[in-house]
Amino acid sequence: MKKGYPVKLLKETLKFTLSVLVLSVLVFGMSRLAPGDPLYAYYGERVEKMSVVEQEQARARLGLDEPLPGQYVRWFRGAVHGDFGISYQYKTDVKEVIAARIGNTLLLGGLGFFLVFALAPLLGIFCAWREDKAVDRLICRIGTVTSCIPEFWLSLLLLLVFAVWLGWLPSSGAYSVGKEGSLADRAAHLILPLAVVVLGHLWYYAFQVRNRLLEEVRADYVLLARMKGMSGRQVLYRHCMRGVLPSYLSMMALALPHILGGTYVVETVFSYPGIGTLAYESARYQDYNLLMVVSLFTGTLVILCNMAARIVSERIDPRMRARGGVDGGEVRRL
Amino acid sequence: MDLLQVKDLSVSFCRPEGEKEALKNVSFSLRKGEVLAVMGEAGCGKSVLCKSILKLLPDIAVVRTGHIYVKGEEITGYSDKQMQKLRGSFFSAVFQNPMTALNPCMSVGEQIVEAVRLRHPQLSRGERRQKTEELMELVGLDHPKERVGQYPFQLSGGMAQRCVIAIALAAEPEVLFADEATTALDVTVQAQILELFLELRKRMGMSIVLITHNPGVAAQTANRVALMRGGELYRIGDVEEMFEEGISCEIT
Amino acid sequence: MDLSHCNAAPGREFFFGTDALGRDIFSMIWHGGRISLLVGVLATAISTVLAVLVGSASGCAPAWADGVLMRLTELVLSVPGLLLTVFLQAVLGGTDAFCLSVVIGLTGWMSMAKVVRTEVLQLKNTDYVLAARCLGGGFFHVLFRHMVPNFVPSVLFMAVMNVRNAIVAEATLSFMGLGLPVETVSWGSMLSLSQDALLTRSWWTILIPGVFLAGTLLCLTNLGDYMRKSASKRHSNLK
Repeated sequence: MKKGYPVKLLKETLKFTLSVLVLSVLVFGMSRLAPGDPLYAYYGERVEKMSVVEQEQARARLGLDEPLPGQYVRWFRGAVHGDFGISYQYKTDVKEVIAARIGNTLLLGGLGFFLVFALAPLLGIFCAWREDKAVDRLICRIGTVTSCIPEFWLSLLLLLVFAVWLGWLPSSGAYSVGKEGSLADRAAHLILPLAVVVLGHLWYYAFQVRNRLLEEVRADYVLLARMKGMSGRQVLYRHCMRGVLPSYLSMMALALPHILGGTYVVETVFSYPGIGTLAYESARYQDYNLLMVVSLFTGTLVILCNMAARIVSERIDPRMRARGGVDGGEVRRL
Repeated sequence: MDLLQVKDLSVSFCRPEGEKEALKNVSFSLRKGEVLAVMGEAGCGKSVLCKSILKLLPDIAVVRTGHIYVKGEEITGYSDKQMQKLRGSFFSAVFQNPMTALNPCMSVGEQIVEAVRLRHPQLSRGERRQKTEELMELVGLDHPKERVGQYPFQLSGGMAQRCVIAIALAAEPEVLFADEATTALDVTVQAQILELFLELRKRMGMSIVLITHNPGVAAQTANRVALMRGGELYRIGDVEEMFEEGISCEIT
Repeated sequence: MDLSHCNAAPGREFFFGTDALGRDIFSMIWHGGRISLLVGVLATAISTVLAVLVGSASGCAPAWADGVLMRLTELVLSVPGLLLTVFLQAVLGGTDAFCLSVVIGLTGWMSMAKVVRTEVLQLKNTDYVLAARCLGGGFFHVLFRHMVPNFVPSVLFMAVMNVRNAIVAEATLSFMGLGLPVETVSWGSMLSLSQDALLTRSWWTILIPGVFLAGTLLCLTNLGDYMRKSASKRHSNLK
C-alpha cells in the first residue's frame, strides 16, 4: 500500500523468477549427484553388455560427459527456447510425454481439489452449527478415523471391495482399451481414485473450517450482530464466514499443489497414467530431462500457490493488514 | 405501565463442575424515558442481568424463576425467533469493548447499513446509505462519506464506540442497554459519549439502562440507581437520595 | 517362512493367515510393528530437532536472516518430496530402517519449522516476556523460564503428529518399493505385497496390516488431540 502497484508486481515477479531459477539448479544438482546410471533408463538391461567404450560414446551422445555446470547451462539454454530435451526412457520429446499425461492428472487432481474445496466449507459449517451435538461428534469421530487411513491403503481397500469382490468398477488405468472416447468409461475409471483423493483430504479442511468458525462464534461481535435482530444462522453465514474466508482461501491455495501434485500415490496404486507416476519413474530411473520438467512443474506450482496464499491473507484479511501480516499457514507433506 | 419489568429473576450457570447462581431474585422496573444506572463491583451479575433480559446468554445459563414483561406482555418464554423481533427494534445494546464488538472483517459502514436494513427492510439501497450517514453524523462521526469504507482497526476506541452506538441507534430502540459502554475509553471520550447518550435520550425519547461500576458516571447521568452485589439487586432508588446517603463509598 | 503354506487364509494354524511368501502374518504384525514405530519415532526426533532449531533461529534472528531462512525452507518445500526422498536415499546408500528414518526426518521438518517460527514470533511479543525482561531477566532466563514452557505443548502436539506422518511416510514409501525391502518386515513392507494379493484375492494380506497401521495412527491422533486440548471454557455466543 505504501508502494505503487507496479513496483509490487515487479518485485513479486522477480522473487518468483529467482525462486524458480534456484529450484531448477537444486533439482538439477540433486538428480545428477544421486548415484545411479541414466544409461539404464535409455538402454535398459543392454547397458550391461556394452563395453566401456560404447558406454562412453553413449554418454557423449546424450551429453552426459560434460562437467555439471556445462550441462546445466546447455539445459538452460534449451529450456529458454522451449526445448527440454528427450526422455531417456520414452525416447521422445519430454513435452510429448508430459502432454500425453497431464490431462489425466489435471482431471483427477483438479476435480478432487474442486470437490474438496466445495465440500469442506459445507461440512465445516454443518458441524459448527451443531457444535457438540451428537451429529457433530459423530462426524468428527468418523472424520478423524478417515484422516488416519493412509491414502494407499484406502486405495487398496476400495480396490479390494469394489473392483475385486463386487466387480463393479475397473481396477486400473484411465480408460479401457478401445473405449478411449467413451465418457462413461472415463468416469468409471475415475470414481475410485477420485474417492481416495477426496476422502484423504476432505476432513482436514472441513475440520479447519469448523474450528475456525467455532473461534469466530465466540467473538464479541456476534452479540452485537444478534442485537441487530439477526438470527444465529444469519450471523454465522454473513459475519462468521467472513472471518474464516481469508484463511480458508489461503489454505486452499496451499492445498492446490498438495492435492494436484500429491496424487502420485493414488496414481501408482490405480496404475493411472498421470504426472505422478511419471515423476516416480523418472526419479527412480534417472530420466534426467523428464525429472527436471516434472519437478519444475510441481515446484513452480508450489511457489505460485505459496505466493497466492500470502497475497490472499495479506490483501483480503483486514486483520492481517492491521497486524502487518505474519504466518503463511501450514503445508502438509506427502 | 412500565416499559420493562423484571420480577424475581434467578439465573444459574450449569457447568460440569457444578451449578452457580448468577442472579438471585432480581426485581426492578424501567419507566419510559428514564436512565437507570445498575452499579456493583465486577462479577456481581450486572452483565448477566442485561444479557438474560436480552436472552443472549449461552446454553449453560438457565432461568430458574422469574418473569420479564415488556409493556405488560410476558416475554420470559419467548423463542429465539420471537426475541429476534424485539432485539433490534425494541431493545438495543452497546457493549464494553468496541474493538471486539465490531466485526473486524467488515467495514463499519457495512455494519451500520446492515442494522438499518434489518430495522427497515423496505428502504432502498440509496435511502439506507443516506440513513447510515445521518446516523454517523448523529453520533459525532465526522466525514461519514469517507468513514463508511473504513475497517474497525483503522479507528480509535472512541470512534469505534461511536460506530457501535450508531448501530444500536439504527434500531431506533425504546430501551438501550449500555453494558459498561464507556469503561474502555479515555476519560474525555467517556464524558463525550455520556453526553451523547443524554442528548439522544432527549431527542429520541428512549430509556437507557446504564451498567457501570463508576459512581461518577451514574451520578452524572442517571435518574435512578440500582445496586447489585453477589447476584442480588439489593437497593434501588432515585439518584439524589441514594448519593445523599453516601452509597458511593459502599460500592467502590 | 513356509512355502507349502503360501497365501493360507486365516485359520487355526495361522491366526491372520500367511502372505504370498508363506510368512505368518500374525507374528509379522508384532515384529513389523516394532520397525514401523521405531522409524516413526526416530524420524520424528530428527525432524523435530531440525524444525525447532530452524524455526526458533528464524524467529529470533534479525529480519534479513529470518527472510533468508524462510525462503530456504520454502525452497526445500517446493522440491518435490519424492525427488528429495530418492536423492537422500541414494546418497545414504542404505535400505535399512535407520537410513529410512533419516530420509523421512530430513524431508519432514519444513512445515513444522514454519509453525515454530510463528509461535516464537508471537511469544516474543507477549507482555509477560516483556515483563520478565523488565525485571532484569537475562536472555537464557527468559528463554527457559518463560518461553519454553509456553512453547512445549504445541511442539509436543506437532511432534506426535509428526510421528503419525512419519509412520505413514514409511508405509507409503515401503509400499511403493522406495522404502524398506520386503525382507525387512514392517507394516508398510508387508503391504507392498498387496498388489499381488489383489490378484489372488487374499484379502487378509491387505486388510490386517492396514488395520493395525490405521489403528496406531488413530491412537496417535487421539494422543495429539488430548495434548492440544486447551482449557478454553468460553461459550458460543451464537445460541
